[in-house]
Amino acid sequence: MASPSLVNRCRLFIAAFCLLLSGSSRAADEPKPNPENTISIDFGDPVPVQRFEHSPKFWIANVTDRSGNPQPLLVLKARGGIFLDKQPTAILKDTLEQSLKAANLLAADEASADLVLRVYVFHFGLASGSGLDFFGKVEFSTMVKNSRTGESTEVKSTGTSIANGAVRKKNLQKNVEDNIENALRDATRNFLRGAQLKEAVVAWSKGSEAQPAAAPASADAAKPPSR
Amino acid sequence: MRILALALVAAAFSLGASAAPKDETPQYKTAEAKHFTTAEGVELSPAFVDYFYAELRNELTKAKLVKEVIGEGETVEDSDALHSLVISGTITEFKKGSVVKSALIGFGAGFKSLKMDADVARRSDKQNLCVIHVHTKIDPRWNEKVMAKGAAHEMVKEMKKALAEGSKTTTADASKP
Repeated sequence: MASPSLVNRCRLFIAAFCLLLSGSSRAADEPKPNPENTISIDFGDPVPVQRFEHSPKFWIANVTDRSGNPQPLLVLKARGGIFLDKQPTAILKDTLEQSLKAANLLAADEASADLVLRVYVFHFGLASGSGLDFFGKVEFSTMVKNSRTGESTEVKSTGTSIANGAVRKKNLQKNVEDNIENALRDATRNFLRGAQLKEAVVAWSKGSEAQPAAAPASADAAKPPSR
Repeated sequence: MRILALALVAAAFSLGASAAPKDETPQYKTAEAKHFTTAEGVELSPAFVDYFYAELRNELTKAKLVKEVIGEGETVEDSDALHSLVISGTITEFKKGSVVKSALIGFGAGFKSLKMDADVARRSDKQNLCVIHVHTKIDPRWNEKVMAKGAAHEMVKEMKKALAEGSKTTTADASKP
């Protein structure tokens, strides 16, 4: 008959082995990025910007990820995973810059900009959908800072897209890519054609109109009376 | 004889093709769908409202009711405002349903149920063009986002019908067992 210490040792060994097995299987489930499962978000044509009475020059100071997602490049975990080739913040910055540049609204540097943008990304990629299709969502908030007065206005933007599901991995990847591209385009459009951005630009133009008007008045006041 | 039969078949096909309805140009230029609000006591997550918003926009695009579906808070040219729609609404009731009731009784008992009202207004003068009531029921085992899909589809169908007829109020009832 085996001694109780030997039985306990055996039990301990089996438990440790089980733990090791479960750990290794979990590690094997974790998808790794490779050229086959990596997608590149091609934004395509720039989004047309709304017309402003007085066109300001914008500068994107920084884009910060506030999604709290530990793996921002991982779009889909199932089926071997789907990864982005660039960080969502870099993709969004490129997208906004392209559209502003096409409309001739991008400043050369921060010092020459009228409005400085600080973008905070809250969601980029797929969100939970019905399970029958893919629900793409891009959500970000922008602080539009008037470089002259220092006043800031918040502009919220959301873009959504729904794409069909797929069985084959190749189609799945293509649908996810199209879905994210559409959601990104939608969010960019929502920002550049939004009423909130228009209000921020109107406030800036009012400020810039008021300043030259105020300047001669102050000059007059500074002058000594003619009498 | 064969040639005659072939000619008849070709004629039938050409007739069918000409009889098929052509794509009509949409009556409205833009439609802005807003996020629906939830009435007091409705226990639905903000994710559901987000998904419904996306589905509604998707269905509006598919239905070709308008030339362009724009996002919430986007500006429209003043000249287009007369031919633009704004869709807003409220989720008035949501019942979680009961799997036990559904399994034991059947016949639609214990189904998840969702009721919502939508207002379709003209952008330029905010005139209400129609009010739509949608009631959707699905099996309690199904994901509630499937219900959002069904509700959005039903809503756009009713909206298209109401705008074509020019009626003020329509009610739709849809259930998916």
